[in-house]
Amino acid sequence: MEFNIKRIGNAILKDVTILKNTGITALAVASGILFIGLFFMTRGDDYLSADEFMGIFGLCFVVLGMFFSFAVLRESHNAKSNHLYFALPISPLERLTSIWLTTTLIHTLIFTLMALLVGQLAIFAGGIIFGSGFHWVSLFSDGYVKLIKGYFIIQPIFLCGAMTFSKNGIGKTLLTLLLIFIGILFYGLLLFSVLNHGYGVYPGDLIADEAFGKASTDFSGVGSWFFTLLFGPVMLLATYFKLVEKEV
Amino acid sequence: MDFDNSKPIYLQIVDFFYENILMKKWLENERIPSVRELAMMVEVNPNTAIRAFNHLQELGVIHNKRGIGYFVSEDGHQKVMAIKKGEFMEVILPDVFKKMKMLDVEFEEVKNTYDKYINETDHENK
Amino acid sequence: MLQLENLFYHYPKSKTVLDSVSLTFSEGNIYGLFGKNGEGKSTLMKIMAGLLFPKSGQCTTLGQHTAKRSASGLQNLFLVPEDFELPNLTIGTYEKVHSPFYPAFSKNQFYELIQEFKLHPREKITRLSFGQKKKVLIAFGIATHTKLLLLDEPTNGLDIPSKSQFRKIMASAVDQGRSIIISTHQVRDLHSLINHVVILDNCKVVFDHSLSKVSENLWFGRASDMAKEAILYTETSFGGKAVMRRSDRPETEVDLELLFNAVLNNPKGIQLALEQTYHGV
Repeated sequence: MEFNIKRIGNAILKDVTILKNTGITALAVASGILFIGLFFMTRGDDYLSADEFMGIFGLCFVVLGMFFSFAVLRESHNAKSNHLYFALPISPLERLTSIWLTTTLIHTLIFTLMALLVGQLAIFAGGIIFGSGFHWVSLFSDGYVKLIKGYFIIQPIFLCGAMTFSKNGIGKTLLTLLLIFIGILFYGLLLFSVLNHGYGVYPGDLIADEAFGKASTDFSGVGSWFFTLLFGPVMLLATYFKLVEKEV
Repeated sequence: MDFDNSKPIYLQIVDFFYENILMKKWLENERIPSVRELAMMVEVNPNTAIRAFNHLQELGVIHNKRGIGYFVSEDGHQKVMAIKKGEFMEVILPDVFKKMKMLDVEFEEVKNTYDKYINETDHENK
Repeated sequence: MLQLENLFYHYPKSKTVLDSVSLTFSEGNIYGLFGKNGEGKSTLMKIMAGLLFPKSGQCTTLGQHTAKRSASGLQNLFLVPEDFELPNLTIGTYEKVHSPFYPAFSKNQFYELIQEFKLHPREKITRLSFGQKKKVLIAFGIATHTKLLLLDEPTNGLDIPSKSQFRKIMASAVDQGRSIIISTHQVRDLHSLINHVVILDNCKVVFDHSLSKVSENLWFGRASDMAKEAILYTETSFGGKAVMRRSDRPETEVDLELLFNAVLNNPKGIQLALEQTYHGV
């Protein structure tokens, strides 16, 4: 199987160059939102904590990452650009790797750097206008690591969705996710009620509470294992096969 | 270059060579364009151009110096003159004669017109 | 170099587009791929470029299946599609980010061609007309030096001076190691460039011969009354041109348009005339 690091580098450079203008606009919008949000957070306690930072940062980071993942694959769906896209000498595995690296690692790096800069600016601005104290921005915390981890797990879903749906990919992907989520929820409930019929869960006993408690604690080990370790790679694998099988 | 369908393109390219040699644009022992340059010049497939070069080489009008390129032969001009004269005598004249016969044109009439033409062009040249 | 073996293709829930197509393309030639609209020219080009997968049969370039879309396989070919969009970059940036994928790419040649096409590396591609974009892509394709260059209707969208420029550039692009395939219905634009003709009709290959073979065996021109029995096809208009068995007539230039019509009207007769090698040669 062909796997050439140099070609992957070339593909990343190509994608980033093509998306540069759109990317800058999106980043500008995100940094604007981030700045306003963070700026008002410096007001209350004169201090911008990493946790305060995380909420709004996380939202912008994931949403932008999602748009980015869809944008990077847009060429593959447009009937006028996909001929040249798929005729470019790069193997499907190399292409997937380059796309994945661009939308996870590079996105994280650029967005984190930008957020640090905007956060520091917000602290400066807060100091001038609200007289809040100056301090260096702090972003790296357990919350940050958790967020990045979470993003790496769900991001392949966006790639798979971007490869699967040629039109309104974002909406369809989110809808599919919602349906899967509801499906799993019902399946879990059903399974629980069948397995624990003896409890008499549904007549409205207090035990129903216990049931939900059990559902989220006892079985979540399996669930989280499945979702963290398997789901991402499975989605990447699905994206790979979609890339291999896509005809123009 | 505009080609017509009357004869093969390679022969039309050969005519293009003849013209350049007769008009002294390409002189004896002078380097002429390469196959590739000529193909570009007249917008043809290089394979067609090669055929024209081979044809001219067989006739001895041009020759190939290995590694340098094609040159008009020492007696290239003479040869083209001979070829063109042959063409005139064997192809064009019989055609003219055929028409003369058909239209009842006397040889005297043609001679007079010819003399007049020569006179006029000589005059112009002076 | 490029081999198609018993290819079948149909679009989902649609009638057959290609039926048992077998062809071999070799280096040093410029192939003309002709056919009426909708006879599968573009489909065939897409299969050759690995963009569509044959339903059965196979297509290989230098032994590699094009449907696999391997990097080493794709490095052997470049396709200029009939209609396309290029990213919002300058010509220079487009070259910089795409050329590293082609090991034999010649930057010099690319910028020479760009200059010859009266374009500038700093121009934004999105601001160019379609014809100019086509020139950018043709220049890029030539500069890749891939073994196989596929051009789908390359002269569509080019103005008259550009067509002449295109012919000049194609004449310079073919070398002994390269095979160029041009699909077109504008036969007149390219007749001096092509040296091998493939004609598709009713999903099948109905003609696949070099022009030297054609001019060896067929004669093109106005038919005289004497040679009625040798006529293979004739235009119906008064004094129309005809295709005839050449026999001992002098060689004529192949009239591609006439040949195309003759093949569609009398494929068997043409085939037979080409198979009976002329004894005088």
